[in-house]
Amino acid sequence: MALFGSLFCRLVLGFVIVFLFLPILIVLTVSFSSSAVFAFPPPGFSLRWYASLANADSMLQAVWLSTQIAALSTAISLVLGTLCAIAITRGMIPGAKVVATFMASPLMLPGLVLGIAFLQAARDFGLRDTYSTLLIAHVVITMPFIMRTVLASLSLFDFAMVDAARMLGRSYPAALWTVLVPNILPGFVSGGLFAFIASFDNYPVSIFLVDVRTKTLPIQLLNQVEMSPDPTVAAISALLILGTIAALIVCDRLVGLKRMASI
Amino acid sequence: MTLARDDLAVASTAKPARWSFDAKALIAAPGLIFMGLAFAVPVLMLIGDSFVDRDGLSLAGYRKVLGDPYYIGIIGNSLQLACITTAVCLAVGYPAAWALARIRGVWQVILFALIFLPLTVSIVVKTFGLTIMMRRDGIINFLLVNLGFIERPMRLVFTEFSLYFGMVNVFLPFMILPLYSVMRMLDPRLLDASASLGAGPVHTFLRVTLPLTMPGVIAGGTLVFSISVAAYVTPGLLVGDRFMTMSQVMAKAYLNIRDFQLGASMAVIMLVISAALILASSYLVRTPGGERR
Amino acid sequence: MSQQATALPPEAEAQHEPGYLAVSNVTKRFGAATVLDSLSLSVGRAEFVSLLGPSGCGKTTLLRLIAGLLAPDQGAIEVGGRDLTRVAAHRRNIGVVFQNYALFPHLTVAENIAYGLRAKGVPKAEQAKKVADALGLVRMEAFADRAVTALSGGQQQRIAVARAVVVEPSLLLLDEPFSALDRKLRETMQIELRHILRDLGITSIFVTHDQDEALVMSDRIAVMNEGRIEHLGTPSEVYARPKSLYTMEFVGQSSRIGGVVTGGRDGLVEIDTPFGLIRAPGHFLSGSKVVVGVRPEAIAAGEGPAGEYNTVRGTVAEVIYFGSRTLLHFRTAQDDDRLHVELNRLPDTVSPGVEMTVRWRVDDSRVFPAPAGDDR
Repeated sequence: MALFGSLFCRLVLGFVIVFLFLPILIVLTVSFSSSAVFAFPPPGFSLRWYASLANADSMLQAVWLSTQIAALSTAISLVLGTLCAIAITRGMIPGAKVVATFMASPLMLPGLVLGIAFLQAARDFGLRDTYSTLLIAHVVITMPFIMRTVLASLSLFDFAMVDAARMLGRSYPAALWTVLVPNILPGFVSGGLFAFIASFDNYPVSIFLVDVRTKTLPIQLLNQVEMSPDPTVAAISALLILGTIAALIVCDRLVGLKRMASI
Repeated sequence: MTLARDDLAVASTAKPARWSFDAKALIAAPGLIFMGLAFAVPVLMLIGDSFVDRDGLSLAGYRKVLGDPYYIGIIGNSLQLACITTAVCLAVGYPAAWALARIRGVWQVILFALIFLPLTVSIVVKTFGLTIMMRRDGIINFLLVNLGFIERPMRLVFTEFSLYFGMVNVFLPFMILPLYSVMRMLDPRLLDASASLGAGPVHTFLRVTLPLTMPGVIAGGTLVFSISVAAYVTPGLLVGDRFMTMSQVMAKAYLNIRDFQLGASMAVIMLVISAALILASSYLVRTPGGERR
Repeated sequence: MSQQATALPPEAEAQHEPGYLAVSNVTKRFGAATVLDSLSLSVGRAEFVSLLGPSGCGKTTLLRLIAGLLAPDQGAIEVGGRDLTRVAAHRRNIGVVFQNYALFPHLTVAENIAYGLRAKGVPKAEQAKKVADALGLVRMEAFADRAVTALSGGQQQRIAVARAVVVEPSLLLLDEPFSALDRKLRETMQIELRHILRDLGITSIFVTHDQDEALVMSDRIAVMNEGRIEHLGTPSEVYARPKSLYTMEFVGQSSRIGGVVTGGRDGLVEIDTPFGLIRAPGHFLSGSKVVVGVRPEAIAAGEGPAGEYNTVRGTVAEVIYFGSRTLLHFRTAQDDDRLHVELNRLPDTVSPGVEMTVRWRVDDSRVFPAPAGDDR
């Protein structure tokens, strides 16, 4: 009976993995199709949709914008979030637990609600520039990922090392930079990676903040899927998937996937 | 040794009574000020907006939403979507997470990566893949016809089947990972102990396994429910206007019909649902249901 | 012990001869709790002074104040005549060996030791030479390029010492550096460290809650209790002539017998105790409640000449065998009273329940006022 149970569970796991990968594999397959319609199985294979990407200006612009916003917002969150996490971990500020919850709470709010709140606030504050509005909103989106991983890393960090560095002649900021930063680097890498992905993929917040000329990639992609779906969309999606896998492998080499996922 | 006392002293100074200021605490200021202005203020303003119309204070937004059977139905749709998605994810995810947690060695790493990887793929991309699968000439129809279940391809896009298929596909990893992290910690000897005491598999599951994995069920359930109740991209692409949800109404209120109070009221209602869910789950985790007896 | 240094009450400050490290009237509060209460301490150059006390006595706080990792609410701290009270930690040139060593796991052994030299801008070539010297000092030359995480506890401690002394600090602070080591290794390291520091001639403050450690290593010991120094003196002074009951009981084993003074003359008092009449050197008014303390090894079996010795008779409650010696416990009706006797050879007849006569020299008895609230 127990044997049967475990066999059943393994079958379900196998089924789940196939199920999860289906849409991803479909996108990959279609991107290599020779046909403009998404017939299955595809009539033949070609790289023509990848070649046509070179002319997809609005798509490439969106990729570039999303990359910038994701990289900048992740960097800003890393700096602000880490400093805040240090103060929280060391009990320098009152109500440290509440502060930690607050800094991580954007993750718990529905994305659309956040997006609407940003839209209204940007209007009320007279913030017209789409780029800076997007950037500010994405710092809020990425902050919880940084807070969670960095707080977890800091809880394992021995702060006597910072004291030791100070006693050896480094000022407090220099001590943090030379001792704390290298030791919680794995937390930075995994937190930064998830933050980057969260920003790069964000749809529900960005949809309220983009304008006709400034569109992030998910917005542009969805537009295209709704308006004129053709395998060019599949080609760019396939490149995104490959890019994500490459980033995961690089980070795995740096800090280990197990450690990354255990946050 | 005195360190313990120092820490204690720090903890006690955290009370407002007598907190001595440490200049190093200023390092928290940039992050806190930023999140205050860019996150707390907008959310509070949104809540404020839901109580205001052109003529000042008013509950018109809420009256419109909560007084109109159409909007009540939409809230119902969102809750139904979240409930069914969560239930299916739990039913499928529980045995899968169990198998993942019981496998050891390299295979665990590989299988874990395979569950984890889809999570990092853009939702728009996955949903795009799903719409291709659901086409009349897509793989689902291809399989159904070739396996002899149906004679001719049928329309799947814009049906509730494709909606739930897609929702479960996108959100299932969010159920499996929390379950897995709890099940991995579970000592398998407990189950052997239960079996050795003469308990049957069903009894062991209900009295030992389920209560012990309840924190994972609660965490995964809360996560999947809260993101699927607010889902926008997947329902939008897979059923569109045929199955209106709160998210759809909110987006339309702001992006198309420009009824900001309607959108804000709907947003606050959704905020209340998520907040209630999070509070309920943290209460449940603290007093696990399985340990009451 | 040429250096004159003592803990002084605030009013005695005028006569205070400044030492190399001078802590004067330092007070530190955390919220409502006063952790250090107007504490003064003066330490001579090249001296090794232990701060000994239980958890929460303020010894680590005092260490962190000297290091500059905490700021005092009142008072001043000077090293070598330079007022450091308002100087930032990284400008004090004070070395610290931390409890868990706080070695930097992302750096090699040599890089750990070079860390302070780099911070001070010492040229590369000189750095290498100093690192090599420091490694030689702690006999770890072969480990220069190892990862610190691959070292044993004792090896880590040597590296921590090397890292702290390589920058030639004006003062070395050691915060329970042996607490992570097992007992055998701890004893070896204590002696080794003492030799290294003596050779370097470095002034050291050593925090510990382990009285044996303090007795073995120190030139002088400051016994701390509730934010004050109870007794500052050489190990033998602190052990043999404790100034307070607290010191007597914290440092070493002791017998403790409560009683009431019935009279006295010639610098001796007579005390009525559950074990009978006891004489001890001291000046107390008749009727005072006092506690008599005696070291277990000062007590011998059998009667002694009445003039020089106290002789008492009691029932053996417990016999604890240590191999080279045996400890006997006598009890009275008073739970707090105890008479511990340490014998090198155990008479065959001794077992729990047997009555026995023991003696100790009147001069070996210490009398202290009974602690407040202790009036049974």
